[in-house]
Amino acid sequence: MAKLRVKFKKDSLIRYISHLDLMRLFQRAFRRANIPVEYSQGYNPQPKFSLATALALGLTSEGEYMDIEVVEEISTEEFTRKMNEVLPEGVKILKANYTEDSKSLMALIKWSSYIIELELLEGTSKEKVLENISDYLKQDEILITKQKKKKGRIVTREVNIREGIENIELLLLEENKLILKTLLKTGSNGNLKPEILIETLHREGLNINNEEYKIHRLELFTEIDGKKVAPI
Amino acid sequence: MISQERLDKVLLKVEKPARYIGHEQNIYTKEKSDVKATFAFAFPDIYDVGMSHLGLHILYNLLNEENDIYCERVFTPWVDMEEQMRDNNIPLYSLESKTPIKEFDFVGFTLQYEMSYTNILSMIDLSDIPLETVDRGEDDPFIIAGGPCAYNPEPLADIIDFFVIGESEETILKVMRKYIEGKENGLSRKEFLESIVNIDGIYVPSFYKVDYNEDNTIKETIPLKEEYPIKIKKVIQKNLDDTYFPKKMIIPYIETVHDRVILEIFRGCTRGCRFCQAGMIYRPVRERSVDSLISLAKELIEVTGHEEISLSSLSTSDYSQLETLVTSLISEFKDKKIGLSLPSLRLDSFSLEMIQEIQKVRKTGLTFAPEAGTQRLRDVINKGINEEDLITSVRDAFGMGWSTVKLYFMIGLPTETEEDLYGIKDLAYKVKEEFFNLPREKMKGSLKITTSASCFVPKAFTPFQWYPQDTIEEFKEKQDYLKSIIKDRKITYNTHDAKVSFLEAVFARGDRKVSQVLIEAYKNGAKFDGWRDQFKYDVWMDAFEKLEIDPHFYANRQREYEEILPWDFIDIGVTKQFLIKENEKAQKGELTPNCQVSCSGCGITKDFKGGIC
Repeated sequence: MAKLRVKFKKDSLIRYISHLDLMRLFQRAFRRANIPVEYSQGYNPQPKFSLATALALGLTSEGEYMDIEVVEEISTEEFTRKMNEVLPEGVKILKANYTEDSKSLMALIKWSSYIIELELLEGTSKEKVLENISDYLKQDEILITKQKKKKGRIVTREVNIREGIENIELLLLEENKLILKTLLKTGSNGNLKPEILIETLHREGLNINNEEYKIHRLELFTEIDGKKVAPI
Repeated sequence: MISQERLDKVLLKVEKPARYIGHEQNIYTKEKSDVKATFAFAFPDIYDVGMSHLGLHILYNLLNEENDIYCERVFTPWVDMEEQMRDNNIPLYSLESKTPIKEFDFVGFTLQYEMSYTNILSMIDLSDIPLETVDRGEDDPFIIAGGPCAYNPEPLADIIDFFVIGESEETILKVMRKYIEGKENGLSRKEFLESIVNIDGIYVPSFYKVDYNEDNTIKETIPLKEEYPIKIKKVIQKNLDDTYFPKKMIIPYIETVHDRVILEIFRGCTRGCRFCQAGMIYRPVRERSVDSLISLAKELIEVTGHEEISLSSLSTSDYSQLETLVTSLISEFKDKKIGLSLPSLRLDSFSLEMIQEIQKVRKTGLTFAPEAGTQRLRDVINKGINEEDLITSVRDAFGMGWSTVKLYFMIGLPTETEEDLYGIKDLAYKVKEEFFNLPREKMKGSLKITTSASCFVPKAFTPFQWYPQDTIEEFKEKQDYLKSIIKDRKITYNTHDAKVSFLEAVFARGDRKVSQVLIEAYKNGAKFDGWRDQFKYDVWMDAFEKLEIDPHFYANRQREYEEILPWDFIDIGVTKQFLIKENEKAQKGELTPNCQVSCSGCGITKDFKGGIC
């Protein structure tokens, strides 16, 4: 038995497909591509594979990862070719490597980089946008209210999301189109959704349309000796 | 064509947007300029339901294998999407090319259940096509319909331009050929309809006038021209092995109701349950051979990657080669971890070995349908099974490790008494006892028995077609009674909404006058009537009242044998005399044997050869 670590992209119309439906899509693709995937035991055997994180419906990505357990080793080239033959347009295997890593991808992932395309509501200068962003990042605390249901009661608590933001870069500003690149915490030890970043940027004075935007994930990162590196 | 940019603006605002994007694998893509006729296969319910329907996959592929025809799909948008479409002026569009439905030559609806009729109106309306046949012009598509409910087409007479009665594989191709020919010759709408009116199975309601008696029953149906047929004969495929079956199936992105490969093993049924419309209209029985089923299964698994194969038919156990088929399927697919599900297994021929075989791979749920609570009533409906069979099967199933059982019953069947209702409870409790009678080490899991009792809806072309349905009040009383006596932690009791069943009964046996009720109710907000949270009973009652049409006339009235019924002009091969004889036998609790045992002379062999009966 061996473990394949695979990088893939999810874009175009496939962004309208939920995480669970994507899992089912892969299950069928393994079968159609004749990949010797390991199955769980029991009455309802399931193929053994796991995705690093769940990409929210509506987002595109060129940096998604999964681990697949296979019964026998097939070459990574063969795996990639066979899978890409059967996958629909919009999902594509980009890279595959065998790994000895016993840790799950889910536990490894610490950061995500995103590209966010926003619409500026009124003509704002580049300087103003830069100032907004730098003011936003200067804060030690950016609070949001989270709601949780506890025993039928709604409990609200304040959460500081500042720690979840590593950086925000301005990539492009053209007429009313604004493109940002950002690195946000992802995974079980703190997770910041890019939608919340957009919401708080809007709240803190950046004059953007906070209802319609595009978010694209570029890459997932783990940390090795304090350095952020891609899983493969 | 609706641009993707326009759709992108709304898709993230609705639940399960993948219902509306198309682009699944195994779809057909054609250029409009390359084809001579376009057909929108319209399923009047949401994508998740419609994509589970085998008929869609058959007709979609059948039509698309013709190079000059392009068949695309369209489903009813769920209420959230409908709202977005209306707000953003997006007309109903086809999933493949995003073409507005109004631009198609044909829009073909499949009629699977009566409570989807308002969705047909909703889809026509969202396409900006006039709701009624009389208002449609030369540029509008032909709105056509087929499927089981088309056997009583009259309730949709004002809405549907023509019906295809029976199995439509051959008929639809004949119609399309005539259309392409007619288009080249510049035929008008009416001329085209006249060119197809004599094709077997075609019914054009606007070519007929119905006269009524003073008591509102039908006096006469008059063809407006002599050449229009007086009887419409259903069409069947005589040999299933020669009948088209798709070699590929579209793979939905989202989870559908039946997310699996569907293999149709046979059509028709030899049982003759007296409440069952399918058992009468789909006669005679015609099987596909094991060899062709195995090779179809292989091809379909390869092109879809599904993890389950489901055998489809009215009564799986009656397939003559079932054991061979199941054994071969299992040995073929076991290593690939592909499961097999056998819905509609009859408990009297429930085979122990077969279940064990299936269990080796994947365990699926167990459903039993005794339909009635006592032997007397089961004999009335000709459900030829007895309690002993059921109990034995349940005991075996529990012994093999099952612990979840569903029991299906109907309430309101002809001649039903309180004893029959009590029998439902009695049977459920006996099933429970069987579980606890097992030796402790054999009891696996936690026992769960679900007892569902639906409200009986008398259907056209059944021996019970003359029978008055119970009133809503009577149903409610019976439901309350059952609820008061079924009191056990292990047994869940489910009911159906009697109001929905009442409306179903109106449209199952309605005449063409109820067409206007559908339109009125739709205009006042009725749609997705089969969905509990969407059903608006008051809207329906207001519509009946406004149009002065009495729904009880259709649902709760006892008909006489002499009465001309709205569907009498359709010839299903089974004679009215046979249905009368069966109804008489029902009253006396007399059984009619399975056609495989002896022929009961239903009439199907006279005109429809090719069956094994």
